[in-house]
Amino acid sequence: MKARKRERRRYAKPGGETYVFWLFVAGNEPNSSQARGNLARLCEEHIKGRYKIDAVDVLKDAAAAHKNNVLVTPTLILIKPLPKVTVLGNLNDTRQVLAALRLTGDER
Amino acid sequence: MATAKRRAQGRDAGGPQKRRKGLPKVATGIAGLDLVLGGGLPAGRMTLLSGGAGSGKSMMGLQCLLHGAGTGEPGILVMFEERAAAVRQNARSLGWDLAPLERKGKLYLMDARLNPEAVISGEFSIKGLLAILDQRAKAMRARRIMIDAADALLHLYDSPMRERHELYALHEWLLDRGLTTIMTVKTSAQEDAPSRYAFLDFMADCVIHIDQRVTAQIATRRLRVIKYRGSAYGRNEYPFIINENGIHVIPITSNVLQHRPLGPKVSSGQAGLDDLLAGGYRRGASILIVGTTGAGKTTLACTFVQAACLRGERVLYLNFEESAESMVSSMLSPGLVLRPLIKTGRLVVRSYLPEAMGVEEHLFHALKALDEFQPRHVVVDAISACKRMGSEHTAFEYLMRLLNACKERGITCTYLNQATGRDVVTESSGIGISSIIDTVILLRQLPIGGAMKRDLSVVKSRGSKHSEQFHEFRITDRGIDLVKA
Repeated sequence: MKARKRERRRYAKPGGETYVFWLFVAGNEPNSSQARGNLARLCEEHIKGRYKIDAVDVLKDAAAAHKNNVLVTPTLILIKPLPKVTVLGNLNDTRQVLAALRLTGDER
Repeated sequence: MATAKRRAQGRDAGGPQKRRKGLPKVATGIAGLDLVLGGGLPAGRMTLLSGGAGSGKSMMGLQCLLHGAGTGEPGILVMFEERAAAVRQNARSLGWDLAPLERKGKLYLMDARLNPEAVISGEFSIKGLLAILDQRAKAMRARRIMIDAADALLHLYDSPMRERHELYALHEWLLDRGLTTIMTVKTSAQEDAPSRYAFLDFMADCVIHIDQRVTAQIATRRLRVIKYRGSAYGRNEYPFIINENGIHVIPITSNVLQHRPLGPKVSSGQAGLDDLLAGGYRRGASILIVGTTGAGKTTLACTFVQAACLRGERVLYLNFEESAESMVSSMLSPGLVLRPLIKTGRLVVRSYLPEAMGVEEHLFHALKALDEFQPRHVVVDAISACKRMGSEHTAFEYLMRLLNACKERGITCTYLNQATGRDVVTESSGIGISSIIDTVILLRQLPIGGAMKRDLSVVKSRGSKHSEQFHEFRITDRGIDLVKA
């Protein structure tokens, strides 16, 4: 019931909804840097102008990591649109990440 | 002046944990385990606790954390599989209330179950977990940590190399923080799990393996320390139990026999038998009374018990054959009045069904009774029933260790053994323990001239002269009566 409501809202918005990502990284360790780069590239290619990335450094903000049950880095959480999706890793496998984030095809 | 100097030295040494002599250790608080470990777990280092499902790993680790929390060493429990609520509930079933410790910041339960729906794409590390732990450990000044279970964490990784890499990183982190760590890992008899996690054994400074096995339908728990870097430890398998108060390991108290020498003579309660034994049994001796059913074993033992209690000595009677009530009433017939002895507290009769629990639990109860009741004499009726604790081997283990415990305390220990066949003499060995038995008395019933005649013989009496003849005896309503030859 709730889900259907959300669905309607999503299609009602012209140009689609803004994507909100939280990306948890650990300083500048290689996997974290790669994840940052990969996510920025994917967003530019697929949802240009309709995304917002909040990067959280767990080394500086452990409380945020704890609150969101982030145990590994990098961790990407798609906050909006719902439902939430969690992707672990450096996001190297583009096709897999796109599928997970529901960004395959029709979202353009 | 002297005090100030001592205090300064204490500071230099980094507190009481770092003693100049030997490896610093921290107590687990688990009865018996600290003894096996020669003091406790290696302080600031990692101990691996491996075992199958339901073997008691988590409980053992938690008990150690709780002991720390209560003795100025706050602890963190990282759970990869269980919910914090479930752990709190399990702890309650053992009578441990975690809430006050959690409130006071002495214990922190960290729910570290990973989101099962998370998609994995590419490499990652557990830096997030370490960042959270770092913050927690600093805030609560944690000294101990338990990682439950390492295999759940390792399942995240798709290659053995990365598993290793992450575990080494975690190990380094733990060492840097100086946390005394217990890491659990599941082992399974079916999988090749041990080889997969073999590197953990090399990494850890102390490795303890526990298991639960079933012998003749009776479950028993065992613990073994596989390695302990830089420390001596008990190398045997030790039975342990989990009861309503937590975990109890039952160690053999020392690796050298510390039996007390036999004491002075003590009357068997039967004047004729005392004559045959040149004055009676010796105090602190082990006595085996063997005979077929109805031969008078219990009567002979209770004759001794009554005499001891009337002298004001305490006796513990472990009965695996019948209840205290039925023993008391059946002993009235040969004129032995036990009830007043029980009432005055000199005689304690404990009746157990041998198959009701595993051998380690029987042992635990018996040793606890020795410590609490401090008897001068112990009777086990009958060792033949002890086989029902599992097997002849488990019975042997129970009897041997009980006997050792008695010998160390100078307690006279009387074992009754029911022989099944006609050839009582060869059965007198009593589950292979005869070599450490000091005195063996054989009771026979022989059909002679249309009647059953009873006779007894002292087969062996260490450290004492004794008669080697068979002597006829009767059981009358005033006790055992030796017929004069």
